[in-house]
Amino acid sequence: MSKKKSKALPQRKSFNLTTDGWAVTAALILALLVRLGLIHRVPW
Amino acid sequence: MAQGSIALPQVQLLRPTQWLGQLVPGVLLLAAIGYLGKICEQSLSAYGKAHHLPLPNIEYVLWAILIGLAVSNTIGIPAVFQPGVATYEFWLKTGIVLLGSRFLLGDVLKLGGLSLMLVVLELAVAFSLMTLLGRWFGLKPKLTSLLAVGSAVCGVAAIIATKGAIDADDDDSSYAIAAILALGAIALFTFPLIGHWLHLGDRAFGLWAGLAVDNTAEATAAGALYSDAAGKVAVLAKTTRNAMIGFVVLGYALYWARKGQAREVEGKASFLWRKFPKFVLGFLLISALATAGIFNKAQIGSLGNLSRWAFLLTFAGVGLRTNFRELKLQGLRPFAVGAIGEAVIAVVTLGMVLVASKLFHL
Repeated sequence: MSKKKSKALPQRKSFNLTTDGWAVTAALILALLVRLGLIHRVPW
Repeated sequence: MAQGSIALPQVQLLRPTQWLGQLVPGVLLLAAIGYLGKICEQSLSAYGKAHHLPLPNIEYVLWAILIGLAVSNTIGIPAVFQPGVATYEFWLKTGIVLLGSRFLLGDVLKLGGLSLMLVVLELAVAFSLMTLLGRWFGLKPKLTSLLAVGSAVCGVAAIIATKGAIDADDDDSSYAIAAILALGAIALFTFPLIGHWLHLGDRAFGLWAGLAVDNTAEATAAGALYSDAAGKVAVLAKTTRNAMIGFVVLGYALYWARKGQAREVEGKASFLWRKFPKFVLGFLLISALATAGIFNKAQIGSLGNLSRWAFLLTFAGVGLRTNFRELKLQGLRPFAVGAIGEAVIAVVTLGMVLVASKLFHL
C-alpha cells in the first residue's frame, strides 16, 4: 500500500468561495428575487 | 459537509466564463436526468390511471438515481460532463438552504433540539462501535478513525475534513469514502422499505434517515423517497448531524496530535469555525426570515419548489457519482467493518427514534 501523503494547498490570496458559500449566496439571491416578485409561482 | 470549493483546482485558474463553460454540460446532464426522472414518475402514474392499473408510485427521486446509476455504470461519464456533475453538492446545499423557508424557527428548534439529543447518542454509539470493529478486523487505526467519522457524522465530507486534520493516507481515505458511499447507496434503498414495513410515521422515518443514513444527499433522498414530510425532517436531522462535524474532527485531530501522528491544532475556535458547515447558517437564516413573515404563502411555495428543483439535480448526481466497479476495487474489509457498523447503528437509532416517537408524539 502506498504511503502518499496529502499536500497542503497553497494559500489562496484571491477571493474564493467554498461550495457552502456559493450555495448560501445562490439561495439568498433566489430568496431575494422571489421576495421582490421577480420570480413568482415556480411550478413543480 | 465538504469544505472544498466547487471548482477543481485546475478550473480555478480559468477565467469566469471558461469556468462556467466547463460546468454547463454536466449541469445540463444533471438537469436532463433529473427531469427525465420526473417525466417517468408522471408518465407511469398517468398510464396506471388511464388503464386502471394498480402501478406502484415510483417517485422521481428513485427514477433520477436509477437513471444516473445506469449511465454511470454502463457508458460512464465523459470527461466533458465531470466538472458539472461535481456541482451536485452545490445543488444539494442550495436546496437545503431554500428548504429553510418551509420551517418555522420554532419547529427547527424543537425538532433540531430533539435531533441534537439523538445525534449525541448516535455519535457515542457509532464511535465506540466502529473503533471496536476496526480493532477486531485489524484495520489501520487511522482508517478506523475515518470510517468512524464517516458513519457517525456526515459521510464523505467528514472523511475529507478529518483526513486533512489527522494526516491520514490517501489510500485510507479512498477506502473509507468507497465504503461509506456503497453503504449510503444501500441505505438509500433499504431504509424506505424497512420504514414502510414498520409503518413508521413521516416524522419518525425522517428522523431515522437523518440520523443513520450517511451522506446528506443520500439521507435527503431516502427521506424524499418515503414522503415529502419525511424528506423535510430527514434534512433537518441530517443538518443537525452535520453541524457536529467541527467538534468531531477537532476531537480526532487532538487525539492524533497527542500521539504525535498529526499536526498540533492551533486556535481551536477558528478550527471549529473553519470546519463548521456554513450552509447550516443559511438554512437557519432563511427559516428565521420565513418565521418573521418576510415571505407570503405563495412566495414560500415558490421557494419550496425551487428547493425541489435543486434536489432534482442532486439526486441525478447521487446516481451518476456511484460507480460499482470503482467501489468493488476498494476491497472488502473496510466495507465489512462499515456494513456491520452501519447495520448496528441503524438498529440502535431506530430504537432511539421509536422511543422518542412515543415520548414526544412524533
